[in-house]
Amino acid sequence: MFDRRHFFLVGTTVLALSLLPAVSFAEDAKPVGGGSLSWGVETDPATLNPHLNGQDKTKLLLRNAYESLLARTADGGYVPWLATGYEISQDGKTYTFKLRNDVAFTDGQKFDAKAVVANFQQLKDPAYSTSVSAGPVSRIEELKAVDEHTISFTLKAVYAPFLDYVAGLEILSPAAFASSQIKSGGPEIAGTGPFILKRYVKGQEIQFEKNPAYAWAPSTAAHQGPAYLDQVTYRFLPESSVRTGALTSGQLDVIEGISGNDAALFKDNPDFSYQTALNTGTPYSLFLNVTWGPTQDVTVRKALIASLDIDKVLQAVYRGERTRAWGITSPIDPQFYDKSIEKSYGADAEIANGLLDEAGWKDKDAEGFRVKDGKRLTIEVVQAQATVRDQRDVLLQALQAQARQVAGIDLAINYVDAGTYTERRKTGQFGSIANSNTPTDAIDIEYHYLPIDKGGTINYSRAFAPELEQWLNEAASTLEPKKRFDIYAKLQRFAILDEAYAIPLYEPEDQVAAASHVKGISFRPFKQLPESAYDIWKSE
Amino acid sequence: MSASFDQSYVAPRRPRRIFTAFASRPGVVLSSLFLLFVATATFWPQLVTTDNPLLADPIKSQLPPSPDHWFGTDHLGRDVFSRVVYGARYSVLIGVSAIAIAALVGSFLGLVAGLARGIIDEFISRFLDVVSSFPDLLLALVLISFTGPGTVNLILALGVASVPRFARVVRAQTFVIAKSGYVEQAKTFGLARHTLIIRHILPHAIAQVPILATIGLGSTIIQAAGLSFLGMGPQPPIPEWGAMLAEARNYLRVAWWIGVWPGVAITLTVIAISILGKRWQLAFEGRRQA
Repeated sequence: MFDRRHFFLVGTTVLALSLLPAVSFAEDAKPVGGGSLSWGVETDPATLNPHLNGQDKTKLLLRNAYESLLARTADGGYVPWLATGYEISQDGKTYTFKLRNDVAFTDGQKFDAKAVVANFQQLKDPAYSTSVSAGPVSRIEELKAVDEHTISFTLKAVYAPFLDYVAGLEILSPAAFASSQIKSGGPEIAGTGPFILKRYVKGQEIQFEKNPAYAWAPSTAAHQGPAYLDQVTYRFLPESSVRTGALTSGQLDVIEGISGNDAALFKDNPDFSYQTALNTGTPYSLFLNVTWGPTQDVTVRKALIASLDIDKVLQAVYRGERTRAWGITSPIDPQFYDKSIEKSYGADAEIANGLLDEAGWKDKDAEGFRVKDGKRLTIEVVQAQATVRDQRDVLLQALQAQARQVAGIDLAINYVDAGTYTERRKTGQFGSIANSNTPTDAIDIEYHYLPIDKGGTINYSRAFAPELEQWLNEAASTLEPKKRFDIYAKLQRFAILDEAYAIPLYEPEDQVAAASHVKGISFRPFKQLPESAYDIWKSE
Repeated sequence: MSASFDQSYVAPRRPRRIFTAFASRPGVVLSSLFLLFVATATFWPQLVTTDNPLLADPIKSQLPPSPDHWFGTDHLGRDVFSRVVYGARYSVLIGVSAIAIAALVGSFLGLVAGLARGIIDEFISRFLDVVSSFPDLLLALVLISFTGPGTVNLILALGVASVPRFARVVRAQTFVIAKSGYVEQAKTFGLARHTLIIRHILPHAIAQVPILATIGLGSTIIQAAGLSFLGMGPQPPIPEWGAMLAEARNYLRVAWWIGVWPGVAITLTVIAISILGKRWQLAFEGRRQA
């Protein structure tokens, strides 16, 4: 799988740094500065505050302006960024970071230990965000600025994913927290990035300008100093065919989110470059609500899983351009993905129908749906209109058709506005919610499988089995990778095979196509989301 | 003045002559035949196709037109021909129902305004002015944003948006007829007011409504398809023509047949309805083709 995809892997060593740009862009000698870039993107951000935004597709935009303490290397290691180094105490509970002393926020504020403390204090405040404050920051017992450029976190107990979390968190200017834009994000929320957020017009575009003072790129970047481009504009174009057309007609330099049908246009075409990378974290999965409607019955959940032939559906919808997912975390997760679950379930009409008969859904109504006590076997999939991307509406429709034809299950897909979605999520009145997310180091698993009030902020199956919490805490409190792997593997079998909390569908990926004059497009090492425009330059 | 209006009301041609006028025109004949086909698809789609419009078969997705699938298959492997056929039910019935609502409500309001005069007329007329000051489509869009998308809401929204067209014509006719010689004469016979209205005014006041409705039907079908395209009408997997176009828009480059056939269906239906409506109007007005 790896060899088929064109990653721009940036190594950690000086050797790798000197070799890779030369190998990847051998055809062009030297990057040139200047110019502006226009990039068509699929998703309009729900908020521009990187702390509060959960849309993976938005990270690409926000990464231009906001940075974090450490950067990741391709093999999962950590290298200095805004912090020059870190130390973990013997007992595994105290993390100390040394910060750079030459960094300034783009609004003129100083980047120092106080600024970082202000960020984490804000995150711990439920008034800022209930779900964020219940997440990994809730593990922090004490947070202090040791001196002007040193900060330390002491945890209540050993929490293995903490470094991953704290290293990746975007640090905002302390002045931002007094701004009226703090919830929505915007130009008043300054970061330290190579670009400055200048303008945002909802539904149209977001514009960034070069930060001329930028001088603190991590060693994973391909160059140092200010960015090459003077200006980057991302235009929001929700239709994949429109993005494709805008690139092929020369109206845009780069687009992301390429439909399976359009991929062939750019692949092996000398006028364009085409790159893809699988996401990390939880695959796009249908989470089945165990506290509401027919999916409360584990037999119904298992029947639904058995009724779907997901390989066939993916082939039809994405023309073979997406990767099937089987488990609770990404198949590219080098640490915690147990692939023994692959091909162990699904696509069995006989099992599906047998289970439903057994559960009492024996009769069928005029439209061919199963009924029990006069009620139709309806599983309501609630989907926020705003987060539909990557033809997932089509994917859900294909599953809907299959569930109906194979097992007489009515997968009712209900598109709702953001307010209704939040409300239904909160009250738990939904049959299923489909979701994916990209955190690494098993934080994605915690988000989806811890109890809702104990850090399972997106536990859409609303699973509350005591084993889950016990196992997850056990895994997080050890720093031994092998032990953690075994626990997550056990949890994966339990969640998918025994309890059918979720139906993994496919592993989201990013696709980026660009005109051939655009150079230096890459994916983030390890995290694999599209990298910011920092290293990008135009050859004409 | 009133005498000349009376003339026009005794003038309409007799049905037999209208029929021969129709038959001499191939456009009219073809349109009629096509609409007959659409009507069959609307009420008895199973006579036209045996395929299930909802049956998805991922293995057979995006197949070009062939003897097995006359119009090809769509992105989920559903038969496009059967979807176009079953789609007639939604697209045509939404248009017809919306126009029927507009015609009923509009005629009633027009008649009331035309007969009542005075303050009631003022009130109704100003109300119609307000409604018609918004473009039909925009008004329907606003209404749906309150009621939420769906087939019934779409019908109501389009119906309300078309009310003024009917109300205005009926009101004007009612005015003229109420003052005409034969009504005046009928009054002198001492006929009761309701008899006068039902027997002498109503039939003439609404004489143009069917023609207006036929002409308006074409544009209403287009508007319905347009709103469905925007996701305001029937929801997937219902095979409404506008919704089918919306689903097909990302596949035009690789599988033109998914979007072209519902587009052709909308176009032909609207053209056919327009041809018949125009002809009917000319025949009614007692004129030959201009």
